[in-house]
Amino acid sequence: MRWDHRPGAIRVGPGYSRPVSLIIEDLHKRFGNVVALDGLTFEVPTGQIFGFLGANGAGKTTTMRIAIGVLAADRGQVVWNGTDTRELPRNTWGYLPEERGLYPRMVVIDQLVFFAGLHGVPQDLARRDAMGWLHRLRVPELAERRAEELSKGNQQKIQLISAILHGPPVLLMDEPFTGLDPVNVAMLREAFLELRDEGRTLIFSTHQMETVEAMCESVAIVDRGRVVVGGPLREIKRATGRRMVHLSVDGDHRLAWLAGVPGARIVRPGIDRSEIELDEGMEPEALLAAAVAAGAQVTHFEVADVSLEQIFIDHVGRPLDEDLHLAEAGGPVAPGEDAA
Amino acid sequence: MFPNTGRVAQREYLELVRSRLFAVSTVTLTVLAIIVALLPIVAKLAEKGTISRVAIVAQDQTLAQATIDNLNVFLNKPTKQFEIIQLATEAGAIGAVDDRQFEAALVAMRSPNGRLNFTFHMGETIGDSQIQALSIAVFGVALLDYSTRNAVSGFELPELNLLRSTGSGAGSVPFSASNFASRLIVGAVFGVLIFITIVIYGMWVAAGVVAEKSSRVMELLISAASPRQLVVGKALGIGAAGATQYMLVLAPAILTLLLEDRIATALLGPGAGISPSLQALSPGLLLGFATFYVLGFALYALIYAAAGSLVSRPEDLQIIALPLSLLAIVGYIQAILALTGGISGFIRFASYVPFWSPFVMLTRLSVGRVEPQELLISIALLMATIAGTAVVAVRIYAAGVLLYGQRPGLRAYVAAARGR
Repeated sequence: MRWDHRPGAIRVGPGYSRPVSLIIEDLHKRFGNVVALDGLTFEVPTGQIFGFLGANGAGKTTTMRIAIGVLAADRGQVVWNGTDTRELPRNTWGYLPEERGLYPRMVVIDQLVFFAGLHGVPQDLARRDAMGWLHRLRVPELAERRAEELSKGNQQKIQLISAILHGPPVLLMDEPFTGLDPVNVAMLREAFLELRDEGRTLIFSTHQMETVEAMCESVAIVDRGRVVVGGPLREIKRATGRRMVHLSVDGDHRLAWLAGVPGARIVRPGIDRSEIELDEGMEPEALLAAAVAAGAQVTHFEVADVSLEQIFIDHVGRPLDEDLHLAEAGGPVAPGEDAA
Repeated sequence: MFPNTGRVAQREYLELVRSRLFAVSTVTLTVLAIIVALLPIVAKLAEKGTISRVAIVAQDQTLAQATIDNLNVFLNKPTKQFEIIQLATEAGAIGAVDDRQFEAALVAMRSPNGRLNFTFHMGETIGDSQIQALSIAVFGVALLDYSTRNAVSGFELPELNLLRSTGSGAGSVPFSASNFASRLIVGAVFGVLIFITIVIYGMWVAAGVVAEKSSRVMELLISAASPRQLVVGKALGIGAAGATQYMLVLAPAILTLLLEDRIATALLGPGAGISPSLQALSPGLLLGFATFYVLGFALYALIYAAAGSLVSRPEDLQIIALPLSLLAIVGYIQAILALTGGISGFIRFASYVPFWSPFVMLTRLSVGRVEPQELLISIALLMATIAGTAVVAVRIYAAGVLLYGQRPGLRAYVAAARGR
């Protein structure tokens, strides 16, 4: 597959309703004996929130570092709006690395102004916008405090602000939700949606599947340096051909009666809610009837798409939180790829 | 390149000069510099009460007086070092030495053939330099005594003219002992200052890089500025902080030296014999110092930055610090040798070697004679090495700052230098 790389050239990718702005094409990268990227290819539509999923060590961080230009690919290229990213200024990108870090003894507002300054934002404008974002994330009181005095969650908010303060058209974020409490996750989600509505393209990796399902229109799942499935989330789900039912009952949540229902099986049991997959030919109505006939008190019955987590397991062969230990597989860990 | 380099430099500068480390080290160095500036006065003060007392016993009064007069001429000009007192008997003089009333007793006797015999009775406090001075002095006494008694025609005390070469074909100028002493002092101070600051500030650069890695702010930095901007900015900022510290440390020390004569007069009385330590400090030498400080620091800062990028934890810094410090120490030792032992062929060669020239050429400038072309070659080689080192250092830095958890080996350095 070859893309039109002329500057300004825009194409609409297969299945996408918006023009594609970011193209990751055939990326290869080795670190010693370890193959970090093995022909990784995917595309990201403009103005979307894009989920980049993979186990630890799958190649997500390496891909992001190559995209922003701090690491060179052995082969392949990353193209943004028709221009090779190696030719783009650094302020094209807003980057939130997986490993959080700020100058410990530097005052928060000074750090934000400093990083914005590196991206070419004038000092007074950076200060004003930084205060705006601190208010937006409900932490204006942190402005004059040193980074070392902040909680991890608050440090993460400051780092997010430093990634977006210069108004980049595309944001790359490595595990932005890690370490945040539910209130802050919700706040961050809201901020992401706001940024998307401003026309920015957001790409993030996360282990929180429900967040991806709630926010991302498109995803790419990467395993061992290759994309195993990618595209609009809805299409990916449809393409599985699998039908799911989410069922909640009062009483015995183990659903013992289900063993006598042919063509239906639990793929994810739960105390509150269980996910049941239906085989071809088995209709949801039949399952509901079987539940009622078995005396189950159904409190929730929903016909749903297959979950993203199930798709991930189908393609990668293990749950997302089951780490891939590249180091144990016979080589050093690629820089930045967390093997733990 | 420049806006970001300036921003990085400004941040480094402000963080450093506002740090407690900077304040403590500046105060400590200032106190040390003032102490060093006062050392000549302190030494004089210490010498003040240690004039050696020597007892003279002679066969007759004429010989005694001639010996005393001549010893005073040889030993006590321009500064009085010996107090020479005549005693009546040899036994009394020896007893006085035993009782520590005198450091030594000198017994002068004349043989029947007219030859003078001198016998020293030395106490426990007399040293080699004093014995040497006394020995030369009695030789002079004997010579003058002989010429007086034998009417040697045409004998004159020799006139000694000390001249110093100023360059090929440029002739010579009178040698000034005080000026030479001042040049030694200035050379020693410059040598120590440039060595300490290059190593210390170089370590600050490495420590800064490691701190940015260990706090993980590096990844944010490297996504916002290029490795070249970060390395050059850090070196500039820390170098400027070092220059600031120089000013703060040297200003009171130089003021002390400028007031040296007045302080000496106040403490030691008029005519204390303190030769101005700063008389050898010329604008040219100061310019040489500034040039070699800037270039030397630039070279070592680049190396320290690259080396610092290959370690992840502050405790691993020693792994890289030792070999780099050794490299600088070799240059420093040669500078000290040049200061004390003259300029040998190897030291002349070392003053062209870029890693050593900031120390050795600066010392040569202070105490020796350097031809303009020698200076230009040395600076040109240093600048060329800085340019080459910058390319390699930025490559190593770019590769190294994203390496975590791996201790640097030779292979890592080579691979990074090759840009892989």
